[in-house]
Amino acid sequence: MAAAPSVRGRDKDSLARFLGWFSIGLGTAKFAAPRAMCRLIGARGDGDSRSVMRLMGARELAQGVGILTRPRPAGWLWARVVGDGIDLSLLTLTALRNKEHRGRTAFAIANVLAVTVPDVLESERHRRRQGRTYPGMLMRKAVTINRPRGEVEAAWTAAAIELHRKIEQVGGHVVFSDAPGNRGTEVAVDFIDAPPAGELGAAVLKAAGSDLATELSNDLRRFKQLVETGEIVRSDSTPDGRLLADQLHQRAAQPLEEAVR
Amino acid sequence: MKANCWLGRNVVDVEDVPDPRILNERDAIVRITSTAICGSDLHLYDGYIPTMKRGDVLGHEFMGEVVDKGSRVGNLNIGDRVVVPFPIACGDCNACEKELYSLCENSNPNAGLAEKMFGFPTAGIFGYSHLTGGFAGGQAEYARVPFADVGPIKIENGIPDESVLFLSDIFPTGYMGAEMCEIKNGDVIAIWGAGPVGQFAAASARMLGAERVIMIDRFEYRLRIARENTGAETLNYDGIDDVPEALKELTGGRGPDACIDAVGMESHHHGSVYAYDRVKHAARMEADRPFAIREAIMSCRNGGIVSVIGVYGGFVDKFPLGALMNRGISIKTGQCHVQRYMRPLLERIQEGEIDPSFVITHKIPLSQAPIGYELFKHKLDNCLKVVLKP
Repeated sequence: MAAAPSVRGRDKDSLARFLGWFSIGLGTAKFAAPRAMCRLIGARGDGDSRSVMRLMGARELAQGVGILTRPRPAGWLWARVVGDGIDLSLLTLTALRNKEHRGRTAFAIANVLAVTVPDVLESERHRRRQGRTYPGMLMRKAVTINRPRGEVEAAWTAAAIELHRKIEQVGGHVVFSDAPGNRGTEVAVDFIDAPPAGELGAAVLKAAGSDLATELSNDLRRFKQLVETGEIVRSDSTPDGRLLADQLHQRAAQPLEEAVR
Repeated sequence: MKANCWLGRNVVDVEDVPDPRILNERDAIVRITSTAICGSDLHLYDGYIPTMKRGDVLGHEFMGEVVDKGSRVGNLNIGDRVVVPFPIACGDCNACEKELYSLCENSNPNAGLAEKMFGFPTAGIFGYSHLTGGFAGGQAEYARVPFADVGPIKIENGIPDESVLFLSDIFPTGYMGAEMCEIKNGDVIAIWGAGPVGQFAAASARMLGAERVIMIDRFEYRLRIARENTGAETLNYDGIDDVPEALKELTGGRGPDACIDAVGMESHHHGSVYAYDRVKHAARMEADRPFAIREAIMSCRNGGIVSVIGVYGGFVDKFPLGALMNRGISIKTGQCHVQRYMRPLLERIQEGEIDPSFVITHKIPLSQAPIGYELFKHKLDNCLKVVLKP
């Protein structure tokens, strides 16, 4: 059903993965042992600088997790580049204020500069590879209709304007193809699902059965019914049932009080 | 009209509900003359099938007279006497074209719901939860029959209701169970459950050329009916320790060539295994109690067939997948594709090869449906099949 672009795995080569783990290692050290880390870079390690060190540790950890877990981590790689800048300015500040350990600070600056190079290169490479990013997931809903392609295409053209508009609104497009084995025509709708509030919103809508994918799947099913049987089947409990959301709150399976026809 | 409604677990009652109307142009309205309580109605009664709603009209085995029809029902006339198959099928989709009517792709308006439960949706069924469409059932004075141009079969001579009513479900279901066994000359078939479907499976297995049929149950009166009407041998599991072992010795150490599970999700057993599954099932931690199918698999000869027509609803524990795979056993299953079997089985009835009315033990008015459910559920008064008369 969901066809996520195939970027997982292959997209994240060993350099990005190294940078992710590097962030986590360094972040853990900064967060867990700020005093020792302060001394290592030639800072005093008193109250304020320890807090700053902890904060930087938390930043590194977030970047590391982001790079390792996101399918397309370009944004998180750029965050590393920004982080390198912050580190360099803080280190410069340290060098100006703590003159007695300048040697250590200089060594730290050299280290940050050394890692900034792969950070920039990898960020740039990922940005180029990702190309245009969509705020959502590429989805497909498909149905097979037991009728020749010409007939299905004609029926689609004549179908409810509402359905066409819905697909247009979500930037979707329809593909017709012959189903193998003389089973009629496959109708596939490709679209971008971008629910409000991202993945959380998607989960909420899906649980309620009113997500776009479920809605389109029901629409396609009704279209199939119309083309194959000439009508949209009604039952006593769902005389006009359309969305899964409606199906979850239906009436008892008793004849209707009033004619719907 | 009066209709038997599901009101909650173990509660049904005959209530006044609106008369059905034509909702689609391929509908017909049938005035019901005979209807029956099915073993699978008991799964609804006992509350093991999800998506039931208080007030649902039950019943999927019924026949009667056409009293109204939509404009696109050309094959039936007002006044025709018809038996209605329990799966609702459009006749136009790929599944119907392959005669897999209980898998019709268009007849379940709640397909979205069913898809979430089973992966793919199945056909609509009368009075059988909202998962199968939420259609009002046939334990009523009238019923709306969708796709009436495809399903119902006309009964043209004066053959009594009792002899043709079971074409709606249990006779074809039993027959399909036997057909799935791919019976060859000399085959021995074992059948779990001497309920009405098991009885028809036994009779059908004999019709299809089985050399021997062995029925397994714990109710002597049901086994007696099987012996007297289907030519089956019987095995009362109450008296024996180990059914697979007994079957093995009864078949020269080979095991039955095919095994039919005509029991389904609420099977019984004895001993600690039963207690284990009974508790899990009652607590709804296990959707089905799978003793019959476990035994069927363990009993079946190497390379044989296990045919499942008893109804299951969800997931089971301790399924002997290793035995199934390593011993090359095939499983065949399905809700019956009734429309496929109605015509040939009606012919067998008309030729006097079988009279399905032998399973009927109780004929009571529709108004007494709640009593019928209790009789059937608890096997009181030697109950095997209850027919309701509206």
